[in-house]
Amino acid sequence: MTLQHVGKSVPRVDAVRKATGEAVFVADIVLPRMLHAKVLRAGVPHAKILSIDTSKAEAMPGVKKVVTGQGCGMLFGTCLWDQPPLAVDKVRHAGEPVAVVLAETGNQAAAALKEIAVEYKKLPFVLDPVEAAAPGAPLIHEKNGEYRRVEYSVHPIPGSNVFHHYKLRKGNEQEGFAKADVTVEDEFEFPLSSQAPLEPHGAICRFGTDGDIEIWASNQAPFVLRDVLADMFGIPATKVRVHIPYLGGGFGGKSDVSIEPMVAYAASFVPGYAVKLVLTRGEVISGALIGRGMKGRMRIGAKLDGTFTALKAEMYFADGAYGDTGWPVDTVAGHNCTGPYEFPNAIVDVYGVYTNSPIVGAYRGYGHPEGQFMSSRLIDMLARKLDMTPAEIMRKNFLCEGRKNALGQTIKKSNGDLFGCLDAVEKALAEEPLPPNDERYVYGRGIASMMKSPKMAANAASCCHVQVNADGSAFVNLAGIEMGQGVHTVFAQMAAEALELPFEKVRIYFDVDTQYSPWEWQTVASMQTYRGGRAIQDACRALVEKAKKTAATAWNCAPGMVAYREGVCVHPNTGATLSLGTLARGFMAANGLTVGEPLAATGWYRVPEITEPDPETGMGNAAGSWTFGAQGCALRVDRQTGEVKILHFASAFDVGRAVNPAATRGQVTGGVVQGMGAALMEKILFTDDGAAKNVTFPAYKIPRLHDAPEKQTVVLLETPNEEGPWSAKPMAEHPIVAVAPTILNALRDATGVEFTAIPVTPERILEALKTRKEDK
Amino acid sequence: MRVLNFTVNGTPRTVHLEEGRVMLASVLRDSLGLTGTKVGCGTGQCGSCTVVMDGKAVTSCTVPAEKAEGTSVLTIESLAEGGVLHPIQQAFVEAGAIQCGFCTPGIVMRLYALFTQNPDADDETIMKELDKHLCRCTGYENIVKAAHLAQEKLRAAR
Repeated sequence: MTLQHVGKSVPRVDAVRKATGEAVFVADIVLPRMLHAKVLRAGVPHAKILSIDTSKAEAMPGVKKVVTGQGCGMLFGTCLWDQPPLAVDKVRHAGEPVAVVLAETGNQAAAALKEIAVEYKKLPFVLDPVEAAAPGAPLIHEKNGEYRRVEYSVHPIPGSNVFHHYKLRKGNEQEGFAKADVTVEDEFEFPLSSQAPLEPHGAICRFGTDGDIEIWASNQAPFVLRDVLADMFGIPATKVRVHIPYLGGGFGGKSDVSIEPMVAYAASFVPGYAVKLVLTRGEVISGALIGRGMKGRMRIGAKLDGTFTALKAEMYFADGAYGDTGWPVDTVAGHNCTGPYEFPNAIVDVYGVYTNSPIVGAYRGYGHPEGQFMSSRLIDMLARKLDMTPAEIMRKNFLCEGRKNALGQTIKKSNGDLFGCLDAVEKALAEEPLPPNDERYVYGRGIASMMKSPKMAANAASCCHVQVNADGSAFVNLAGIEMGQGVHTVFAQMAAEALELPFEKVRIYFDVDTQYSPWEWQTVASMQTYRGGRAIQDACRALVEKAKKTAATAWNCAPGMVAYREGVCVHPNTGATLSLGTLARGFMAANGLTVGEPLAATGWYRVPEITEPDPETGMGNAAGSWTFGAQGCALRVDRQTGEVKILHFASAFDVGRAVNPAATRGQVTGGVVQGMGAALMEKILFTDDGAAKNVTFPAYKIPRLHDAPEKQTVVLLETPNEEGPWSAKPMAEHPIVAVAPTILNALRDATGVEFTAIPVTPERILEALKTRKEDK
Repeated sequence: MRVLNFTVNGTPRTVHLEEGRVMLASVLRDSLGLTGTKVGCGTGQCGSCTVVMDGKAVTSCTVPAEKAEGTSVLTIESLAEGGVLHPIQQAFVEAGAIQCGFCTPGIVMRLYALFTQNPDADDETIMKELDKHLCRCTGYENIVKAAHLAQEKLRAAR
C-alpha cells in the first residue's frame, strides 16, 4: 500500500495556536497563590561563603521568604551527584545561585535582592580546561571522586579537577602511525557558547502541605526531572508531578535538569504557595546551562593514497562548576571524533574538567560538532599534503558496508549512504561557479562530512497509548516534547498511517504530564521520530489486532480471517464491515449485548542491545543508529572589513525517510544558521574577574536574517532500512555538526589561512590577512 | 499608585502600575493576560515582544509603561479576533515559518505594522524589518517566504 501520510509535508498541528499567540509557554502560566522568585547570583567565580545576611531583605515589602543554601545537605544528579540546589559553603562559578527571594511581585523580589549581604573569601579561580586539569590548579571540588556516581560510566581522577576521563583504545595507534606515510596534527578550540533558545528557562513549583510536589517547567526530560526531584527530596516518584507546556526552543539547553531543583528547594520553604521563576536572558547564559567549551589536539596518519591508518586525539572540556550534565558530552565527543570514517587504530582521551564557569550541558549534537571539527579540518589539511581533494580522502575512508566505526560496530548498507550525500553536495556546489577574486572580495569553497549517533541510556525507551473514540477518531498519548522540531505533527502523521485513518482524526496529546503520559526516557538526541515512531507503530498494531478480535467475535469467525483497511474491519466472505468507531467500546448488538474489549492499546520501543562503552577500551555497542551526511559551502570574504558572506550552503543527509520533508528542511536550514553562528560569531567571554561577560543580546551575538546564507540547498537521501518507522532515522541535530569545519575549510580556500579556533570573527580575518600566518 | 490609561486591541483599559520600573510588555502580559506577546531578551533585541503602538511596531519590553499613556496598542490577540486567521498569520502557517513559535507573534505584529503603513513595501524594506527579529529555529528561510506570501495575500484582499 502506498503511504498516505508519511512522506507528506502536512502543515504543523501546532501552527495556528503559535501564530495566534495561544500556545502556552511556561512564562504564560499563572497559578493561584503564586509567588515570584528572583535569584541572587555569586558574582565571584570561586569563593568560600563566610556569611549571608538576609534579614533586611526579608523585611522588604511583599517579601514572603528568602531562601539560601545554608544547611542544605542535598545533592542532585542523574549519574554524578555533585550539585546542591543552591550554593552551600562555597560558590564555584559567578552565576551560581546563593539566595532566592520569594515575593508577591517580581519587582519586590528584585528590590529585596539588593538588600542581601554576602561575605566571601575569594579563592583562586580557573576557566581554561587545560589549566584546570593541570597539577597545582585551584581545586574546585575537594570531594571529586567521592561523590555518588554511576561507576561504570563516570570516571573521575580524585585530587584533580578532572571529574570524567573517557578513553577510547581501538587497535594499536603506534603501529598505525608507523604505517602512515604522512601525518597531520593541530590544536583546536570550540568555545563555550549558548544554545540561546528564544524562550528563557522557567519553572513554577508548588509544594502541597501533603508533601506532593507539582512543577511546570521548560524542560525536555519530564520523567528525568521527576525522578531527580523525588531522589533529592527522598520521596516516592508518585509524589512528584511534572507538567511540560510548549517549549520555545531547547537545542539541548533544556534537556538537562538545571534551575528546577533550586526552584523546588525554594518552594519547599513555602508549602501551599506556587513559586515562579523565569530567567532573564543574562541568566540563561550565566545561570542555566551552556554548551561546548572544548580545547583539543588531534593527529591523523594516512597512506599516500589517502587511506587512514591511525588517529590520536586529546580533548579538554571546560564543563563548568558541576559535572553531571557534562560527562555524556565528553564521552560522545570521544567516540564520535573520528567522524564518518574508518580508522583501524585510534587512541582518544577526553577530560571532563571542573572549571569556574557556567555549567556545560547538552547543546545540539553534543560532542559531535566539537570532535568532528578537528577531524574535518585535518582532512582538509591532509588533502593538500597528499595533493588530493578532500572529497577523495573522504571517499577512501567513509564508513560503509562491512567497515567498523570507532566503537567497533560493523556498519551495514542500510545505515546510510555517505557517498550519495557527498555526491549531492559536490553537485549542488558545482552548479554555481565561484566568481573570480577581485579587489574587494576573495571567494572559497569547503566541504565536510559528518555522522551522528545518539547518546542514550541503555534502557532508553518510548511508550505510547492509543485510544479510539466512538466517532472513530483516535487519541495518541506519548511524552515527546514539542520544542519546535515538529514532533507532534510527525507523530500524528505516523499514527494516521499506522491506523489508516484521515490525518484529522488523529490527535496527539500536546501537554505532557507525568501523571498521565506514558513513560518516555527524554526528548533528546533526535530520537522522537525514530523511537517514538516505533512505539506508535507498536501500539497501533496492537490496537488493530484488538479491533479485529472484537469483529471476529461479533461475526463468529476466526480473528485471523478479518481484514483491516482504512479504519474498517472487513469480513472476508460477506464483505461486512465494522468501523473502529463502532468497535471503540466493544461491539454492541441491537439489544445492547456487548462483546470485546474497549479499543485502547499500548506500545513501546527501545533501541535494542545498547550498552555503555567499556570502561577500559571505550568501545562497545553504545550507538544504536547513525545518520550520515555531508555539507559544503561557497563563501566570500571582504578583504577590507573581514566580513564573511555565505553565498550558498548545501547539505545532504541520508534520513532513511523524511516523514515530513518540509519540516526536515526546516531542521536543516535552522541548524545550518545556528552552526554558522558558532563558526563566525558566538563565544561566551569572561571578565578579568571570571564572570561571564557577554550574556545579553546583542553582546552575545546570534545570527540575524542578514547573516544567513544567501541560498541553502537541502538534499534528503532515503536509504531503506529496517530500524526506523517507515525507514525514518534520527534527523534534527545533524545539520549543525559539520557547519563549522565546512565554513573554515572554505575560509582556508578563500584566504589561505588555516583557522583552527572559532568563532572566526571579521577582526581575526583581517588580522590573519595582514600576517598570512597560520592562525591558532 | 500610578495609573495607566490606554486602548488595547480597541478596548479602553485602566491599569494600576506597581512600584518600580514597569514595562509595557509586563502590563500586557501580567496585568491584562495578553500572553501572546513574548519576552525573549528584555533588551529589545530579539523582537519577540513586538506590538503595534499608534501604528508603529515597538518592542514592548523596552517601552516604559508610562509611555503608553493615551496610546492605542495592538497585540497578536487582536489579529484573529472572531476566529479567522489574519492573512499574515495564515501565511506563516502555510509557509512553514513556525517552529517553536516563540518569535512568531512579534514578527507577525512587525509585518502587520509594515504592511498597514506600506502595503507595497519592497524586498529591502521587508528584509530590514525582519532583521530586527531573532529566530533560533528556522534559519529565516521560511520567515522570508511567509512575509512575501503575506504581502501577496493582503494585496489580493485589497
